[in-house]
Amino acid sequence: MSSTVQPRGSTKIALSVHSWLVYLFFFAPIFVLVVFSFSADRNVGRWGGFTLQWYQDFTEHSQLQNAVWVSVRVALLSTLISVVLGTLAALALERFKFRGRKVFDALLYLPIIIPDVTMAVMMLLFFSEFFDVLDAWFGLDLQKGLGSITISHIAFNISFVSVVVRARLAGMSEVLEEAALDLYATRWKTFRYVTFPQIIPGVAGGALLALTLSLDDVVITQFAAGPGATTLPVFVFGLIRRGVTPLINATSVLMLTASVFLVVLSLAFQQFSGRSGRPSLRAARQAVSAKPTTNTHIKEGIYQ
Amino acid sequence: MGDGGDHSVNDASAAVQLSAITKRFGDVVAVDNVDLEIADGEFFALLGPSGCGKTTTLRMVAGLEFPTEGSLKIFGNEVGTLPPNKRPVNTVFQDYALFPHMTVEANVAFGLKMQRVAKAEIAGRVQEAIGLVRLEGLEQRRSQQLSGGQRQRVALARALVNRPKVLLLDEPLGALDLKLRQEMQRELKALQREVGITFVFVTHDQEEALTMADRIGVMNEGELLQVGTPEGIYERPVNRFVANFIGQSNLIDASVVSGDTVCLADGNHIPGRSDLPVGTRVALCLRPERVEMHPVTAVPAGHTSISGRLESVTYLGNALVYTVANEWTELEIRLENQPGGFRPYVGDDVAVSWMPDAVTVVRA
Repeated sequence: MSSTVQPRGSTKIALSVHSWLVYLFFFAPIFVLVVFSFSADRNVGRWGGFTLQWYQDFTEHSQLQNAVWVSVRVALLSTLISVVLGTLAALALERFKFRGRKVFDALLYLPIIIPDVTMAVMMLLFFSEFFDVLDAWFGLDLQKGLGSITISHIAFNISFVSVVVRARLAGMSEVLEEAALDLYATRWKTFRYVTFPQIIPGVAGGALLALTLSLDDVVITQFAAGPGATTLPVFVFGLIRRGVTPLINATSVLMLTASVFLVVLSLAFQQFSGRSGRPSLRAARQAVSAKPTTNTHIKEGIYQ
Repeated sequence: MGDGGDHSVNDASAAVQLSAITKRFGDVVAVDNVDLEIADGEFFALLGPSGCGKTTTLRMVAGLEFPTEGSLKIFGNEVGTLPPNKRPVNTVFQDYALFPHMTVEANVAFGLKMQRVAKAEIAGRVQEAIGLVRLEGLEQRRSQQLSGGQRQRVALARALVNRPKVLLLDEPLGALDLKLRQEMQRELKALQREVGITFVFVTHDQEEALTMADRIGVMNEGELLQVGTPEGIYERPVNRFVANFIGQSNLIDASVVSGDTVCLADGNHIPGRSDLPVGTRVALCLRPERVEMHPVTAVPAGHTSISGRLESVTYLGNALVYTVANEWTELEIRLENQPGGFRPYVGDDVAVSWMPDAVTVVRA
């Protein structure tokens, strides 16, 4: 059965050519990246026969290994904390009326809107001032490192998590909570048995988003990192400056694989949680796909 | 308020007692100084147009809103500011508010689980409640897999399983289509008789209130205007609003001349009993089915009549609705479709007449 809105004739051909071009544009660089990660030649772009040398190098490169673990730890810790805080913020904004609610609401969006560089400089200044004060008061010698990176990631992740969770909460009728209260549930039990099960898809979407953003971030991390620790993307960025070798390709392929795994996981979760789980995860996916490009796209992704 | 021969409720047995209850939202007065007693075992309807404060009143009884002023007692215990989980009442919400992530069984068991009732007892009572609303076999369904009527039953079972002292129903049939609604009306009434619990239900549908309730409270703009049996309210509305809201009424402006006479706008004095002071502006409430229509020259003896011109005829099959108008009023007459009856044409001059006891004088 063909509907009248289905394109026909030359339009149909033009549209399909167009979509293939778009896919080519998307995936050709990835294809090149993956192929040359198996190239035996030191120069990227020149095929020197198949090898797994660069993957072996990756596993033996202690600094790279170190960076991977810093990345993973920062991502997990910042995700955990920002999911808790972001969900609480979303609940407060969506369910309670309090003084300064509008201001809080606006401020919460700030990390999403302001450019990464601005945020990074703010973090840099904050940590140096803050550490100075703490050093002076308690006689410490604080250095930027794992802690400062984690804190800066939490700072931007809270916003993203709360946006995604709020989208989910807004779609959930308050009457359900009233019904639970009416059926002898305390406020805590209402949250535990009714509100939380309802917003799980939002919370999970927010967590995956936070995880991805944390693993991807270069700009803010670069300013918040110290001699003690650096994350994988920042380390790779540093490697590139010293010349590109297929080791970077291999590293990128591994990062890519991890990202794809997260996306697949999020899609699987969406399937699992059924139709009711869609809006917030869609918001999450849009935010994910928007983040690495420009800030205007993020706004579209978040505010639509 | 509360006239019309309805049985009065004695304090000790009142299931719900509202004394001078007022609820304000900012500057808006949602419920204005309401006094109301609902007897144990009664099927009580709060009736009014949307925004009249009936739902707010129900929510205050449920504990979902707290009154700004006044006292609210359930079986003699003050509950004004108790949270909903500490009150012996349960609610059937307007859109049922079933928990979508739970099965029918889990929904029904929720209240008992929250009260830490023993597992074995929960299982028994849930089965009993599901049987009561005839949902056997659907225990493992989720609310998305149920029809509107089935959801309604789950909501009822979920509330009744807790054996509340009072069951509150917020527009329980509003989301159902007409046929199902009429079926559920009968069922709800039968169910109430079976469980013997006090039902308080909110509706904007006067027919529903008349059909189901033992007593009705009519609300408008936050005020409780009249409380009485369906018959008491229909036969003796206290004011123009109630007369118009419950059933259809012809309301004719008049003023009181004496205890049993009123003066119409054209200066004619006609019978109309009231105990209002002489000179009070009133309205004569004439139900369309209580008036007759005759040729101007053939008004039966003992009838009071107003003459006018026939403006329109609406054919309803079993009845005909005529509109008759003159310079100062317009009347609607509903006549059974009987063969051989008086059948005037549009434009004819006719007399609309009634027996003196067919008219009720209400405050304008």
